[in-house]
Amino acid sequence: MKACMITFRSVTPAQRGEGLLRRAGMDCSIQRTPRWMEEQGCGYSLRIRCQDVMPALEILRSNDVSFRKVYLKRENGKMEELAL
Amino acid sequence: MTYLDSGATSFHKPPAVYQAVRRAMGNYANPGRGGYPAAMGASKTVLKCREQAGAMFDCSAEQVVFTSNCTHGLNIAIRTLVKPGDRVAVSGFEHNAVTRPLHHLGAHMVVAGRKLFDWDDTLEQFEKALRGGVRAAVFTHCSNVFGYILPVEQMAQLCRQYQVPFIVDAAQSAGTLPVRMGQWGAEFIAMPGHKGLLGPQGTGMLLCGRSPEPLIQGGTGSDSKNPGMPDFLPDRAEAGTLNVPGIAGLSAGLEFLQRTGIERIHRREQREAARCAAGLKKLGLQVFSGDHQSGTVSFVPKGDCEEIAECLARQGIAVRAGLHCAPLAHESAGTLQTGTVRVSFGYDAAPCQTGEFLLALEKQTGEK
Repeated sequence: MKACMITFRSVTPAQRGEGLLRRAGMDCSIQRTPRWMEEQGCGYSLRIRCQDVMPALEILRSNDVSFRKVYLKRENGKMEELAL
Repeated sequence: MTYLDSGATSFHKPPAVYQAVRRAMGNYANPGRGGYPAAMGASKTVLKCREQAGAMFDCSAEQVVFTSNCTHGLNIAIRTLVKPGDRVAVSGFEHNAVTRPLHHLGAHMVVAGRKLFDWDDTLEQFEKALRGGVRAAVFTHCSNVFGYILPVEQMAQLCRQYQVPFIVDAAQSAGTLPVRMGQWGAEFIAMPGHKGLLGPQGTGMLLCGRSPEPLIQGGTGSDSKNPGMPDFLPDRAEAGTLNVPGIAGLSAGLEFLQRTGIERIHRREQREAARCAAGLKKLGLQVFSGDHQSGTVSFVPKGDCEEIAECLARQGIAVRAGLHCAPLAHESAGTLQTGTVRVSFGYDAAPCQTGEFLLALEKQTGEK
């Protein structure tokens, strides 16, 4: 299964996002954002299935939950930023 | 003890509040900093409380900033809107939590509406102040001394009409009266967590309709490379570790209110206050009561108000005497010299409390 990461500036939007996506039936988990992904330093991310990413972003946008970036985990294990 | 000082703080909290505080202290670490279960548990508790508050007060979870009390929130709000020399409209019933920050800033207070329980006067004078030109308005929803419920909806409407940004002090109303951030269009609403919301002391909330100027700067667990505070809510005004046990208790208090219904609590408090006022009048005392009154009643006793409260305390009755940190309100009511004795009912208001209080006072008055 391909995984995607949606990054957030702080824990509040990340947790709000987690609640919204779970309520929408999406499997997701919250974690600290890897240091290299967060140029401003310190943040939280949601790990979700890649097939869910577009509807997930739509849910976040429509509920005014601001996120920063989206990363895709490639088959070689490397994470790559998705252009939105 | 018969506790009749809920205007100062709620004393007997619902059992779930104590349990939540204990649970948080035993299980939670720092919220918004780590990714391990104890830190995430703390973050979840904090978010739950923000969401509960947002639902209760008509705003989003992000607009809820945790403070250490209502005064803290008012200071952030006032410093954001008011600059030295600004003219600011206030009601005649403000607490020092409003007047002292304004005085400290060197603002000029335009006091509008000094007649107790008189909405026509309050609105007429308030509009006159707005028409005269003010930078902002700050007003209490309910007087902490007299329980006068101000016509905040109409005052908010006037502020919108005159395009004056405003702050509401909901110290005495949050948890017993509807407080509607979105509907009123307030810039800020400040409230304590430990009074009507039944949380522990050391908690408060500031609802933010705009980005606040932080009072203090420091770590937020976010945007760490930024030398300034984050530009987003709630982090912008929440430097340093939050009071997680307090917030957990506050969350339990909000849950209790949601289940019980604030209207029911308000009616119960109001009924006892009216009963109390009637009993005090029968004793021939000067009592401040009228329409638009909450569960708080003030009276001028026969004798020194502090000595009367002291005698009542010896009989197991807890009331508050003096100026109640609100000299402006006392000046408006003409009690600045004497002070008053304040009886304020809480969510557990009951006829036996009123009966015990009146009996003790009657006994004391008879002894005098």
